[in-house]
Amino acid sequence: MAAAAEKSTKERLLSVLDDLEVLSRELIEMLALARNQKVPQPGEDTQILELLVQRDKEFQELMEVAQQQGKIHQEMQLLEKEVEKRDSDIQQLQKQLKEAEHILATAVYQAKEKLASIEKAKKGSVSSEEIIKYAHRISASNAVCAPLNWVPGDPRRPYPTDLEMRSGILGHMANLPSNGVNGHLPGDALAAGRLPDILTPHYPWQSSDVSAGMLPPHHGNDFSLEPPGHNKENEDDVEAMSTDSSSSSSDSD
Amino acid sequence: MAVAQAKLVKETEDCSLLPLVHDIIKCMDKDSPDVNQELTKLKTKIQETREQISNMSGIDCSPPEQQQQLATLREQVRTKNQLLQKYKGLCMFDVPKAS
Repeated sequence: MAAAAEKSTKERLLSVLDDLEVLSRELIEMLALARNQKVPQPGEDTQILELLVQRDKEFQELMEVAQQQGKIHQEMQLLEKEVEKRDSDIQQLQKQLKEAEHILATAVYQAKEKLASIEKAKKGSVSSEEIIKYAHRISASNAVCAPLNWVPGDPRRPYPTDLEMRSGILGHMANLPSNGVNGHLPGDALAAGRLPDILTPHYPWQSSDVSAGMLPPHHGNDFSLEPPGHNKENEDDVEAMSTDSSSSSSDSD
Repeated sequence: MAVAQAKLVKETEDCSLLPLVHDIIKCMDKDSPDVNQELTKLKTKIQETREQISNMSGIDCSPPEQQQQLATLREQVRTKNQLLQKYKGLCMFDVPKAS
């Protein structure tokens, strides 16, 4: 009984149909035989007929069950479609959540970086007044902008002058002499035009008699002030260093 | 509803082979020459019924198994609906209070 219940409805239907076919054939053959032989029927045909009727009833019941199962199958197909739709919705939602997670992770990382830089800035904080004062000092010494009356050949700002390079840390590292005529030249003094007489640049177009005493004749338009004891190696170093005007000018103070 | 019920009854009645067997017996009793024709009808009917059974959908399992599958599917739809409703009802920007 349990085995029969586990069988599929299709198998049961086909089995009962086979039984019906066999029983109907047997019944017809038996009737035909009995009719030809003219012998009284022993009652076997009645049994077969009863069995046939029983099987036919069972077959009809099974067909009803099959019809019901067909309807349930349609309902199941609808449910399967609904499940597929829900699955696609869930996958879409999952994709969106992944994207959101990625965006949020990036934002958190950037925020952490920003917090770290803020913390770092807090530790080495410099007062704004000091920065403004320093900026004023740089700009006042024509470190970032040439004077209005600047002409080619003028050894003043915007680039660091040879004197400033020699008086800076790099100049000291190279053991460059920075006293006497090559002593420290304050930027404010340059900006204000109050150069000491000895440091006042003398240009060839101004007065040749003064400049002739100051500069060696082979310099021509080269206005770098060559100190005593100046050698070729140091000159190369200084010239290479004086190319970066902004950073060198701030370092020289 | 009544139409559907009537259709179902007609379909099940159509499945019965007894009328054809009865016709054959009647023909045999009357010695009618139509008996062969009736026999062919019965064979054709049986063959058609086999094909009909083969083409019927949803009968590859027993009714209890099918009920089980149906229940599983309903449960799946219910669970997935609940999940979607939960996500849709979720307020994404609600910051949980620090405990």
